Amino acid sequence: MIRYILGRLASILLTFTVVSVIVFLMMHAVPGGPFDGNDMPVNDAVKAKLNASLGLDQPLYVQYFKYMWGVLHFDFGIPFQSPGETVLDLLARAWPPSLILGGAGVLIGAPLGILLGMAAALRRNTWIDYLASAFATLGLTIPVFVISMALIMVFAVWLNWLPASGWGKPNAWVLPIIAYAAIPMATYARYTRSAMLDVLNKPFVTVLRAKGLSERRIIFQHVLRNAALPMVTVFLPMFIGTATGSIFVEAMFRVPGLGAYFVSSIELRDYSLEMALILMITMMFCLAYLISDIIYALLNPRIRFGERK
Amino acid sequence: MTPALELKNLSKTYQLRQSGGFFARSTDHLAVNNVSLTLPRNQILGLVGESGSGKTTTGMMAMRLVEPSAGQILVGGTDITALGHAALKPYRRKMQVVFQDSYSALDPMMTLAQIVAEPLHIHGLGTGAEQTEQALDMLVKTGLDHSYGNRYPHELSGGQRQRVAIARALILHPTVLVADEPTSALDVSVKAQIINLLLDLQAEMGLSILFISHDLSVVRSLTDKVAVMFQGRIVEEATTETIFTDARHPYTRSLLDAIPVLNPRDRRARTFLTRAQIEAATPRLSGQDGRPELLDIAPGHRLEAIR
Amino acid sequence: MTLLDIENLTVSFPQHDGVVQAVRGVSLRVAAGESVGIVGESGSGKSVTCMAALRLLREPPSRIAADRLELGGIDVLRAGRAHLTAVRGRVAAMVFQDPMTAFDPVFSIGHQIVETIRAHRDLSKSAATVEAAALLARVEIKHPDAILNSYPHQLSGGMLQRAMIAMALSSRPQILFADEPTTALDVTIQAQILHLIKQLQAELGMALIMVTHDLGVVAETVDRVVVMYGGRVMETAPVQDIFDAPLHPYTQALMASMPGRTPGKQRLVEIAGASPNPANPPTGCPFHPRCAVADAHCAAEAPAFRALSDTRAAACWRLA
Repeated sequence: MIRYILGRLASILLTFTVVSVIVFLMMHAVPGGPFDGNDMPVNDAVKAKLNASLGLDQPLYVQYFKYMWGVLHFDFGIPFQSPGETVLDLLARAWPPSLILGGAGVLIGAPLGILLGMAAALRRNTWIDYLASAFATLGLTIPVFVISMALIMVFAVWLNWLPASGWGKPNAWVLPIIAYAAIPMATYARYTRSAMLDVLNKPFVTVLRAKGLSERRIIFQHVLRNAALPMVTVFLPMFIGTATGSIFVEAMFRVPGLGAYFVSSIELRDYSLEMALILMITMMFCLAYLISDIIYALLNPRIRFGERK
Repeated sequence: MTPALELKNLSKTYQLRQSGGFFARSTDHLAVNNVSLTLPRNQILGLVGESGSGKTTTGMMAMRLVEPSAGQILVGGTDITALGHAALKPYRRKMQVVFQDSYSALDPMMTLAQIVAEPLHIHGLGTGAEQTEQALDMLVKTGLDHSYGNRYPHELSGGQRQRVAIARALILHPTVLVADEPTSALDVSVKAQIINLLLDLQAEMGLSILFISHDLSVVRSLTDKVAVMFQGRIVEEATTETIFTDARHPYTRSLLDAIPVLNPRDRRARTFLTRAQIEAATPRLSGQDGRPELLDIAPGHRLEAIR
Repeated sequence: MTLLDIENLTVSFPQHDGVVQAVRGVSLRVAAGESVGIVGESGSGKSVTCMAALRLLREPPSRIAADRLELGGIDVLRAGRAHLTAVRGRVAAMVFQDPMTAFDPVFSIGHQIVETIRAHRDLSKSAATVEAAALLARVEIKHPDAILNSYPHQLSGGMLQRAMIAMALSSRPQILFADEPTTALDVTIQAQILHLIKQLQAELGMALIMVTHDLGVVAETVDRVVVMYGGRVMETAPVQDIFDAPLHPYTQALMASMPGRTPGKQRLVEIAGASPNPANPPTGCPFHPRCAVADAHCAAEAPAFRALSDTRAAACWRLA
C-alpha cells in the first residue's frame, strides 16, 4: 500500500510538471500580452518598460523556471488585473464564496441524489422511478445558467421569497446553492440508481432473502454498501469541480467568487493568475483521485486483504 | 505413422503478483509442468483433471493459443513451437478448437452460413459461392439442414450452437481437433447427440481429437486413451478401459471413486483424500526419496512414480 | 406430516415476445424427514418451482398462482412480508448453485452467518459467533475461526459451499432446498459435498429437496425422485424404481442416454431434438415432439398426472 501511494505521488508530480510546461507554453503562444488591451492603450516604450518590470522580456524558459521556483515557495506572483495584491491574496479573497456555495451545493445535492436514486431503484418502473429519472435528466441537460435564471424568476421575482443576488446576507446564498446542487444531485441520482439495480440483480441478494433477512436490512446493510463502493470514488472530484466556482452561477447571482477569474485571467493574459489557478486545480484533482482510490481500496476487502493464494 | 499431435516436455509458467502486505512480490506458478503427450492419428485422447490442473492450458498450448514456456509442439511430425505468424498459418488449418461456451464464440451479427464459411474466407479458399456451398454441406453434416444457413446464433438451442461451432472447426478438414469441455454446458438430453456427432465425424473425417473434460462418464464413452492431470503434471496415462478398471495412481483412483454412482443400489461410503495425502501416496518403486517421474509400467500405460 | 405442499402451481414471466410459462401445473408434497430429488434440464421449471415455494422470485415480473402453496403449514402465497421472513431460513433454507457469487463480497463469512442466526433468534453477537464457529466445524471445516474472519474471495468454491450449507443450517430449518449445489464444483469436491448434505440430513432429520440435472447426484442422495420436463412433472417414483424400471418415455430416454453406463467407446442412445422453448411450448404433452411412442392424442391434449401404484405416478397417455 505504501509503495503504491509513493508511486502514485511520483506520477502526480510528473503530471503536475507536464501540465505546468504545457499550460505555460500555450499561455504564451496565444498572441498578445497583458498590456495589449484596447480599453487602455499604452505606447510601445511604456509597454516595454512594464514588460521588463514584470520580467516578461526574458526568454520563456527563464520566465518558466522563475515562476516555478516561486511556486515551490508558495509565491504565485502578482495578478496583473489587480496589482495591489498577490495571487494568494486574491485566492484567499475570492475562493471562500465559491467554496461555501459550491461546497454546500455538493454536500446537499449528493445525498439528495442518493436518496432519489435509491427510491428510483427500489420502486423500479413506477411513477417514482420515472419522476426521479426525469429529474436527473433535466439536472444534467439543462444548462446551469438556465436553472439559475429560473430560480431567480420563481423565487426572487414572482414569489419574492429570496434576494436575487448578492453575497452579504446568508439568505442570498440559498438560490446559488440550489443551482450548484443540481448537477451533483442529478449525477448521484443516476449513479445510485444504476449501482443499486446492478447489486440488486446479484445472486447474493437472493441468498440474503432466502436466509430470511428483512428487506430493510438487505437494502441498507448489503445493497447500499456494495453500491456505495463505486459511488464514493466520484465524490471528491465532483466536490472539487463544483467548489472552485462556476462563472455562470456566480455571474447570475453576482457572487464575488473564483469563477470569473478563470475566464478573465485568460482574456487579460494574466499569466501569474492563470498558471496559479490551473496548477492548483490540477493538484487538487490529482490528490482527490488518489484519496478516492485509497478509500476504495480500504472499503473493498478484495483489495484490502488480497486474493486467495 | 507419425502421430497427429505430439507434445514434448511442455511447461507453462505464469507470474503471479501477490497482493496484500506492503511489498508486492511476484512468484512463479507452474501451471503446466513438463507434459509429454502423444495423440495418434484417428484417435480420441481424453485429458482429464479438476479445475486448475492445467488441462485447458495444455490444450491451448497445443493450439499455439498460449505460448509455452518450454517444450515442443509437433503437428504431423513438424515442430511448430517457434513458427512465426505467417509460417504457422498452414498449420492453423490443420488444428481447430471447440470451446465449452459456443454462444460467446459465435458472432451474433453473422448468419450461420457466414460463420461456418469464415475460416474458408480467412484462408482464401474458393469463391464466395463455393464457400457458402461448402458451409451448408458442413452444417448438414453436423445435423443442421440447409434452412439453418440463413439463421442467426440467437435463434438456436445450446446443442445446435455447439453443432455450428463444430461445423466451423471442421470446415477446413483439420487433422487435429481440440475440444475443451464441449458438452459441459449442454442439457443432459442433448449431450448424447453431441458425443455421437463427434464420434461419427471422427470416424468419417479421420480426425484426431484431444478431448478435455472433467466429466469422466463422457470420457469413458468417447475416448480411446486417457491422460490424467494433477497439479500441472500428467500422473497417469493408459487406454480408457485400463484407466477405468486398473488405475494405479492415487489421484486417478480418487477421481474415479468420486464419480456419482449410476444406480442407487451401488451407493457406498467413500474415503476422501487431501492433496497432501495423494502426494504422499504417490507410488514408490524403491524405498528412496526422489522426484516423481512418469514411467512405463505396461505397454501403453504410464504412471507417475518415485523411482 | 407434510412440510411442503404444492398443488397446481403455475409460474409465468411476461417477456417482450410473449409469456413464458416456466411452471405449468406442478403438484408436489414432501413429508418431514423425506429426501426428494427434482431432476430436469434447464427450462424444466425445477429451480423456479423451488424459488416460488420460498417466494424468492421477483413479483412482478413473475406471476405465481396455485391452488395451494404451503411450507410448514404456512400459506406462503398469502403470507405478508414479515411472515415470509419468518418462514425463510427457519422453516425452509436454501443452498444455491454457485457458491462464489452467493456471498456478499464486502462482508466476512462470519458476519454473514451471524446475521442469519440473529435474524431468527434473540442471541448476542458473541453467542451467535460461537454458534457460527460450531456450525462451520459441523460442516467439517478445519479452522472455523480463521474461516469466520475470511472474506468470500479468499476461499475456494468447495469451502464456500460448505460455509453456505452451514449458513443454511444456522436456523435449524425443517426442510433444505439444495439447488444444483455441486454443479459448479469439481468431481471430488462434489462427492464430499453430497456426502456432507446426506449425512447432515440424516442427523438433523431435515427434509431435503435436491434439485439437479444430474441423474448421478440423484442416485447418490435421495429416496424419491420427481422428473420434470417443460414446466410439468413427468413422473415420480422411489429412486430405485426410477433407475430399475422408469415408466415415462422421457425418463426412459434420459436413462438410456446416460454416458458411461457400459464400458468402451461407443455411440450413445440419443434423444432427438431440443428441450421445448418455454415461450412457445408444444401443445399437449411437452415431450411429444421428441417422444418415440407419441401419437396424435399426445399432441392434442396434455396427459393428467395420475397415480399408477401406491408409490408411483406419471403423466403419460401410454401409461393409462
